[in-house]
Amino acid sequence: MEKSVATLGKGAASTAWNFAGDRLAAGSVDGVLSIFDSSGPASSSFSCTSSTKVHEASILKIIWVPPEFGDAVACICEDGSFSLWEELADDTLHAQWKLAQRFKGTSIKVLDLQFRVSASSLKMAAAFSNGYVKIYEVTNPLELKDWQLKAEFQNVLDSVSLSGKVSCKSASLCWNPSTGQAEGSCFIMGFRSDSPQLNSAKVWEFDQLHQRWLPVAELALPEDKGDPVLGVAWAPNIGRPYELIAVATQRGIAIWHLGLTAELDGRLSTERVALLSAHEGEVWQLEWDMSGMTLASSGSDGAVKLWQANLNGIWKGQATFLPTS
Amino acid sequence: MISFFQESPREKEGDFRPGVQLGYLLVFFFVLAVLNLSPPKTLRKKHFFTVTEREMTDPSDGALVPRADPASSRVYRFSHGLAPLAASPRVSISWGRGNSLRVSLFPPDPAASVCGEVVELDLAGDHDAEIDDVEWRRIAHGSVSPFAVLQNKRNSVLALEKMGPPSLYHLEWWEYVMEYSKDISKLLGNSKSVSTGVIESPTQVLKTEQKPTSLKAAWELIEMFYADRLCQAWLPERLVDWLSDYDTLFSASSATVRSKLVEFQNDLIRIQVIEDNPRYWEVIGSVLAVGWLEIVVKLLRLHGSYQLHQLSRRETENGLVEAVAVLISKMPRMRHELEGGRLGECQKNRPDFTRAWEKWRAQIMKLDCSSFWVQCNHLPTREGLRNLLQILLGNTNSLLAATHHWLELFISHLLYIRPLTSGLDSMYSLAQKCIQLKPVSKSHKLIRILIGILSENTEVVLAECSKEYGPWMVAHATELLTTGSDEAESLLRDERHNLGEISLEELNRIIYAQVLTSHALTWQIAPVYLMSCIKQGVGLLEILLYKQAFRSNRHLHKTLEICRLYELDHVSSGIMKIAGLYHWKHGRKGAGVFWLQQAGDEATLNRIAQQLFASVGKSLSDESFKQWEGLVELLGSQSRNAGGLEFLYKYRDFKKSLKQISDGKNTEAAKKAVDSLISLMKNPSTPQRFWVPLLHDSLTLLNWPGRPLLDVENTNLLLNKLQELSLARLLPEFVEADVPSQAVSSVRLALATNLGRAILQE
Repeated sequence: MEKSVATLGKGAASTAWNFAGDRLAAGSVDGVLSIFDSSGPASSSFSCTSSTKVHEASILKIIWVPPEFGDAVACICEDGSFSLWEELADDTLHAQWKLAQRFKGTSIKVLDLQFRVSASSLKMAAAFSNGYVKIYEVTNPLELKDWQLKAEFQNVLDSVSLSGKVSCKSASLCWNPSTGQAEGSCFIMGFRSDSPQLNSAKVWEFDQLHQRWLPVAELALPEDKGDPVLGVAWAPNIGRPYELIAVATQRGIAIWHLGLTAELDGRLSTERVALLSAHEGEVWQLEWDMSGMTLASSGSDGAVKLWQANLNGIWKGQATFLPTS
Repeated sequence: MISFFQESPREKEGDFRPGVQLGYLLVFFFVLAVLNLSPPKTLRKKHFFTVTEREMTDPSDGALVPRADPASSRVYRFSHGLAPLAASPRVSISWGRGNSLRVSLFPPDPAASVCGEVVELDLAGDHDAEIDDVEWRRIAHGSVSPFAVLQNKRNSVLALEKMGPPSLYHLEWWEYVMEYSKDISKLLGNSKSVSTGVIESPTQVLKTEQKPTSLKAAWELIEMFYADRLCQAWLPERLVDWLSDYDTLFSASSATVRSKLVEFQNDLIRIQVIEDNPRYWEVIGSVLAVGWLEIVVKLLRLHGSYQLHQLSRRETENGLVEAVAVLISKMPRMRHELEGGRLGECQKNRPDFTRAWEKWRAQIMKLDCSSFWVQCNHLPTREGLRNLLQILLGNTNSLLAATHHWLELFISHLLYIRPLTSGLDSMYSLAQKCIQLKPVSKSHKLIRILIGILSENTEVVLAECSKEYGPWMVAHATELLTTGSDEAESLLRDERHNLGEISLEELNRIIYAQVLTSHALTWQIAPVYLMSCIKQGVGLLEILLYKQAFRSNRHLHKTLEICRLYELDHVSSGIMKIAGLYHWKHGRKGAGVFWLQQAGDEATLNRIAQQLFASVGKSLSDESFKQWEGLVELLGSQSRNAGGLEFLYKYRDFKKSLKQISDGKNTEAAKKAVDSLISLMKNPSTPQRFWVPLLHDSLTLLNWPGRPLLDVENTNLLLNKLQELSLARLLPEFVEADVPSQAVSSVRLALATNLGRAILQE
């Protein structure tokens, strides 16, 4: 049932698979980005094909750029900076990973970032330790250099931003993965911070009419709104009449249904359909499968768990996997 | 692999009642098929793979309906190559294609000199240990065509129904399903009836065939009860045939008639006087009880009294044996047909059968009361034969003693006591009775399916199919189930809110398609199943196609072919765009432009054209000019309107003629170059920022030795352009050309000189 597909180098700290699942990027504590490729489409054994020193600090997280904009990754480093690296080849040379853009770290660190392709551009949403999210955009698929800052706002419902110093430990961000809508894009974001208003997972949608981002839903029960969010995941929707979003807090993993059309007040209807007591300790990661039927989670207990709903819509844990040496 | 199984209140086999079902009884839920991994198999693996106690004590053991403990899920351990660690490793997860989950494992302390590892968990598991992966793939590929043909037929029937009153087609639908079922059945292997395997060798009564698969057995079971309308009238006989084909499958868990027969056959060669051996008579009785008449007769003819040298001594005895053998071979059988070599007399309708049955039983009773028995001196023969008669007469005690498994007892009842049984109700109560008489410690999966069918509980049947045989079975057997039962049809075809407004049938197909996508050799057939899903199939297919690797051209063409087949033009253009950009960025510019053009991606092509502009005015080496020229050619071949391409074309011609006059001698070529230059400078499509680079390139022309190449008019034109440029330089949006600083003055000087020369010449 289990099969080893790749051996990571020493000091590997993070990994990420590309969209097609045929390339693996690994980041190490000494700031080296390694790319793993298989020998062919049918092979399931991956070996390191290139290593590039991208930073002095440890690479905490790697995010692949959608394939519409080439083979590129964003690396979030321990010092709070992030950089974009792209695989390019000149006519004669082998492909090399080259720096496309470096976003310098300041006292405000980047915590999470995610990409989304729309009809004419690539959007990047980056969440920072001051509770802000910045939306960058690039339109030229040939150059991943010219990022324009399109918007910047805090993860709060009121338009007045929080006063005082905010300190966020982590952030979770996920775009709506559906490819259906060409321009309409929305994402969900939650923080783990000392500021309760900032924490709860909120769905943000771009209002074309007024050219600004609006919160259209808050995925937290009234009594849980201050709960720090540990992870979010938006399920692919292949035809469901509602969206499905998983939000992890210390209470467990909540599964939410989100309406597709706005109600009178401009908000989307929300319903929490399950709260799953997931891991002993913290939830680290949430991932939906390609049909959006199965949710996988990992946690500080080292376990990987799978969750599914039954025909009556009841969500249950279906399997737990524990690594052993 | 994700599958369903169901939970139900705890019931023992005996408690199961057909009336108690739906809603209360069953709640399906998805469960990963990994739950079906059997502990012994996984433990045999080289790697350490432990199964926790919960799994070992499967709560569904021995129960009629499998169920999961709803409170918690099962725990699996998987091995990794990391050296033993003090704490559990950090994990990171990512879904691969279909149902494979990739888990990255990092040492808890990243600074430690331990390598991390990435492990792929195949959640498709292996449902059925009797069928290996290769065989499963063969079945998966083989079943595509029957499935697609049936879907096409359904669509045309639906289309016909829309056009007018219910047509004849509807009435014959089950026949289409039967064609489909037979095609699928063929794929699942050959099963040959044991009773037709009687061989010529006197000591071999049983042919050792390739062991039939329980998958085929399950398929046939569902086919006979749900799809095959023809056999409804002779279901008991169908079941007799079925058991004769598959009795061997039950041998692993308990003694069966078949296993006893095999044992006896193995010993046959060592037995001297066969009729003295009590096992001989036992085996004959057992075989008779389950209706394998050919074997019975064959075995009876091994009786010693048939030997020529004994015939005269044992005339009466031999007569009795032969009489019984003849009676057995004359047994009336309520069935459609009997294949050649099969014994019994085929009766096609009830009245005929009843008459023949009465007559036959009268003959048996007559023989039973005959005085010849007294004259038979050989005791084992006398008792053995009379036991056979009791079996034929349906003596319950004899049947009970002759059979091993309750299913055999059930079959013997159908054969000798209730041959006219029809209706699932009566079969079900008979089965209950037999289970009580011959309880089994653990019910076989086929038995659970049979019980589900007899209790008219399609949910149980579906759940068992899913649990034991996986998504392939569920996706394909649905066609059979919906044909024979309205209840099943509503169960499978009604849309459910909890499933996101899709039917169970569609869900099952989606689940199966997802399993197919997990493997590089089967993903190509997933679209057939997805396209049969009206609501969510296309959505998943689009994701699946986007996720295909596009680096290998073969793979890319295959994906595009699928897009073309299902008219998913927007997907194919998206994929071609991705491929184009990939090639462009990886140095294969020609391929990049080609695919971007195929994708109709004008925006990116325009940007590429803009990049080509950057070379204007630069001195290019022969090699890079060639490449540049090639790209201009390629770009121009289809999208002529792509940003100023007309200029690029003219510029290419100009550049070509400039190359020819580098020696400063070919005046004719130089004339041509001047014409190109003038036409370029006159043309409004030539961007202003290229004027200086163009003129700078043309210095050789302006300073042509011998005679001036430009006349007064043209020289003035160029001078005016320079003047225009110096005015434009004052505007804010002016872009300075990337040329040497003294370029403008050297051009101006050259033009002035040329003007002087031209005036003199004119």
